[in-house]
Amino acid sequence: MEEQALVHGLRARDSKVQEYLYEKYSKALFGVISRIIFDRDIAEEVFHDAFIKIVNKIDNYDESKGRIYTWMANICRNSAIDKTRSKEFSKMSKTNTIDAYVYGMENDSGTAASVDGIGVKELMDDLNNEQRFVMECIYFKGYTHTEVAEEYSLPLGTVKSRIRSAIKVLKLKADKI
Amino acid sequence: MDIQDYISSGKLELFVLGDLNETEQQEVLAMAKKYPEIEQEITAIEEAMLAIDEVSGISPSSGIKNKIFETLEAENKKHSATNTSAKPLQKEVRLGKEVPLSNPWKTFAVAASVVAIVSVTAAVYYANQYSDAEERLAISFQQNGVLAEEVQANQVKLKSLDTGMEKFITGNFDKIPMKGEGFPMQEDALVDVFWDKESKEVLISVNQLAALDEENDYQLWAIGEDGPIGIGLVNPGKRIDLQTMNIASGAQAFAITIEPKGGSESPTLEKLVVLGEVS
Repeated sequence: MEEQALVHGLRARDSKVQEYLYEKYSKALFGVISRIIFDRDIAEEVFHDAFIKIVNKIDNYDESKGRIYTWMANICRNSAIDKTRSKEFSKMSKTNTIDAYVYGMENDSGTAASVDGIGVKELMDDLNNEQRFVMECIYFKGYTHTEVAEEYSLPLGTVKSRIRSAIKVLKLKADKI
Repeated sequence: MDIQDYISSGKLELFVLGDLNETEQQEVLAMAKKYPEIEQEITAIEEAMLAIDEVSGISPSSGIKNKIFETLEAENKKHSATNTSAKPLQKEVRLGKEVPLSNPWKTFAVAASVVAIVSVTAAVYYANQYSDAEERLAISFQQNGVLAEEVQANQVKLKSLDTGMEKFITGNFDKIPMKGEGFPMQEDALVDVFWDKESKEVLISVNQLAALDEENDYQLWAIGEDGPIGIGLVNPGKRIDLQTMNIASGAQAFAITIEPKGGSESPTLEKLVVLGEVS
């Protein structure tokens, strides 16, 4: 289905199109959330709310600002990040700093690896440490690039160029799989 | 701006990641509209993100899928219920109108922005011009003041010269040159005394006289039968001025000595600078 038809169908609240959207993107979108929230039950709860939000807020999606997937992925990531920053979540998880998170990544990656995905850890294998670090901070943890630059005394330009090279490497890897 | 630099800056990646503020987002969108290379790069990044998420993604459980579609079904029903009550028609009409309407407004907004930018630029430009002009005016005023003072000073000078000249012309003055030659103080000193024997007036013209410190003055003496009489202090700075001195009568010679500030009752002969005898 073309993106235009997809968006049109979603705006018309066509349940077949909603189902198509789910089939096509749920794996990727749930991946975005699971990367940030390791607890599967909480991740699914967040995914439920985010998907409903996507369907309900489809009128807010502006085609001129990018692909629908980008918009949806940002909704999912923001929902997940909001969850990790909520009081309820921080009571459960003590991994609040970036350092703790990076450690968590290494240790908990087993839970993230699933039967139908290659897993985050494997995907990140080809990145060098610097690229992996900014990717984890920004894409997984939801820190802004300015926060990362400030907290680790990195020049903004450095953070940006590492993000860029990291995405390039990941893309190459994703294409090979 | 170099497009390749812009593309490789990493800003486009942050744009796709939703990590730019509203202003920066607008900037990226404007750049994408202007340069197809940037638009293509953004699309490529978006595709890369999707590809990455697809290979690393995890399928959610079927339980959550059911839950999502139960929720959606309930909401869809709610929606179609409201949609049957003639509201969709209204919506259609509004949508139809919105497209042509939004365009002129956009044009007006753009035009207004352009006018605003031009106005601001002009305002800044003229504000600068104005402050420049004001500064120049202030400098002119200052220079004017200095000139006025000079004119005033020159007028005073001219008046005193006039007075001196008038005296000089109407009177019957004898010139008595006084020289420093032969005295140890200032060999090259040269001062002329003009003396009108009838009116007893004395004028003085300094040709060459060294400057003195603050504590001393040159004093002019008229030396007659009763000895030297101080007839005034000489200003060595007023070289070609005619300085009117006190009246002197029966002088046989004139002399200048250096005396403590304000002059003395009787001359300090060791500090005799110039002497001129009446011929």
